Amino acid sequence: MRRIPVNHPANPVSVRGRETTTDKGSSSMALIEAEDLTKSFRQADKDPGLAGSLRHLVRRRYQEKLAVDHISLRVGAGEAVAYVGPNGAGKSTTVKLLSGILVPTSGQVRIDGLVPHENRMAVAQRIGVLFGQRTQLWWDLTVADSLSTLRDVYGVDPAVHRRRLARFDEVLGLGEILPVVGRKLSLGQRVRADLAAALLHAPPVVYLDEPTIGLDVGVKDRVRAFLRSLADEGTTVMLTSHDLQDIEDVCHRLVIIDGGRIIFDGSMAALKDEFAKERLLRLETVEPLDPQALRPLLPLTEVRQGEHPREVLIRFDRFKVTAAQVVAATGTLAEITDFRVDEPQIEDVIRRVYTGELLLGSGAARG
Amino acid sequence: MTWNPRPYLALARATARSAVVFRLQFALSLFSVLFQLVAMLAVWHALLSHKPLTGFTWPKMEVYLLVTFTAGAVVSNFSDFRISYKIRNGQVALDLVKPLDYQRARLAETVGGLGGELLSVLLVWAVGLAFGVRLDLPALRYLALFAVSLVLLVLLKFTLTYLTGLLCFWTKNYLGIYWARLAIVSLLSGALVPLSLLPHWLGETAQWLPFAGMTSTPGLLLIGNATGGQAYRLVAVQLVWAVLLWSAARLAWRGAMRQVTIQGG
Repeated sequence: MRRIPVNHPANPVSVRGRETTTDKGSSSMALIEAEDLTKSFRQADKDPGLAGSLRHLVRRRYQEKLAVDHISLRVGAGEAVAYVGPNGAGKSTTVKLLSGILVPTSGQVRIDGLVPHENRMAVAQRIGVLFGQRTQLWWDLTVADSLSTLRDVYGVDPAVHRRRLARFDEVLGLGEILPVVGRKLSLGQRVRADLAAALLHAPPVVYLDEPTIGLDVGVKDRVRAFLRSLADEGTTVMLTSHDLQDIEDVCHRLVIIDGGRIIFDGSMAALKDEFAKERLLRLETVEPLDPQALRPLLPLTEVRQGEHPREVLIRFDRFKVTAAQVVAATGTLAEITDFRVDEPQIEDVIRRVYTGELLLGSGAARG
Repeated sequence: MTWNPRPYLALARATARSAVVFRLQFALSLFSVLFQLVAMLAVWHALLSHKPLTGFTWPKMEVYLLVTFTAGAVVSNFSDFRISYKIRNGQVALDLVKPLDYQRARLAETVGGLGGELLSVLLVWAVGLAFGVRLDLPALRYLALFAVSLVLLVLLKFTLTYLTGLLCFWTKNYLGIYWARLAIVSLLSGALVPLSLLPHWLGETAQWLPFAGMTSTPGLLLIGNATGGQAYRLVAVQLVWAVLLWSAARLAWRGAMRQVTIQGG
């Protein structure tokens, strides 16, 4: 499999500096740097059944399982990256490596110039983490008490804390859930409170795992807009989500991981270019048009009858044929009254990657 | 990095507030210790009412048993399971992304839980004294040593609990370790039987082990059975073990971090 090199403006691959300055203003410095990052777990290799378990007690056999396999990644300040892949692809293992929870088997990782598993506490101050499945709120305290405990844990100034709470109230409707005890929160309320908890200390790097899970549509939109504004203000956002709308609304850059390897790293537009070359043009003509007659004029395309005799559908590779050429060719046969181009949605592309329909490696080789 | 106590105080406060919410579970976990106290009082009353054993008259034993109760009530089962639970259920991942020293943070939570535990301890002492337990206070310097010894008791119980909790990283199961520890501690700390009444070799050995500091030492100091050089020596043994176990826990933590797979993550 081949990774597609894409020059993203905020991802200056050429910058290989080892600066450790904490100047957030310099956009040339990558906040997240990973090089050949690898994590393998030792998995007990047991034969099935009781006999297998007993045999395992006597002679232990283990199998190395590569969860993350030589991942290299550089993310700059203010970049919003979607980190996607099917279940078990290594997403959360990567996040744990990047936040210092796991120690890598090999490879390098730096957050804001610091090695997470060696400077865990210093890195913790610089990152905010939301694990969608877990809560960092105190089960028995009100949300307000939980957040003020976290305020002291991160050493946030009380005045700044109040300002941030006010902002979270605007975006997340936090005010109404502040007096609620942790264990009485609904899923949507909990995710909102946890989001506030993760962002309370204004970390320059934020990892969000399923940040909109369980939220109402309206709140989802507000959360997405909020995350987008965080990135615009210079926060580095790394997002994993199964809600592809999250990804499209918040992130410009997409990293797809499968089997512990990065199989795509580039902008959304690049993904579309690379893997969604096809366009579908719907043309409506004044008189009925026979697709047979059109085919010789457009040899590189696939021409079909539309829903009615006056509609033709033309599928084409937009790097070989332009929409203008298609329209011009059709125009020689009939007068065109209307046309529409169906662009493939990034959702479809990612979904096809997830389900294994689209093999990025082979797709790239063909292209 | 200089040590800033504010985050840890906040954690202690949060735990103290949580304990208030958990009144019922908390009361139940104390109830088992209280039940033990009543049973022990009955047994020792039957044994001692006619003739005292070496060093233990009935009035002294009553006070010793109240100290045993105190030692059992601080850093209770409740705190115990809180420490290990975090490790077992993968919650540790969230603790690790906080700018906190893991061990100090868990100690802070334990100290936060102490408030409620001490309240119930005072209550039981008040009831005991009201119903005729006679407390002959030892000399002031032994009383001071007793106070120091109680603080060290908390530290010892915490580090031992924390260490056994860390074993979950390897065993992925806590209950077995918990029962084993409970059995060893209740025998070798003098909670079941004062160490001086154990077989001579065992009692002598136990004096030098960390477990003596978890009941026997403060008990002997309060009833005046440990005096002079022995009193200082017992507290010194406590102190040395507290420091050793604290450092051992640090090492174990480092090992656990290398081992860590974060279950269910």
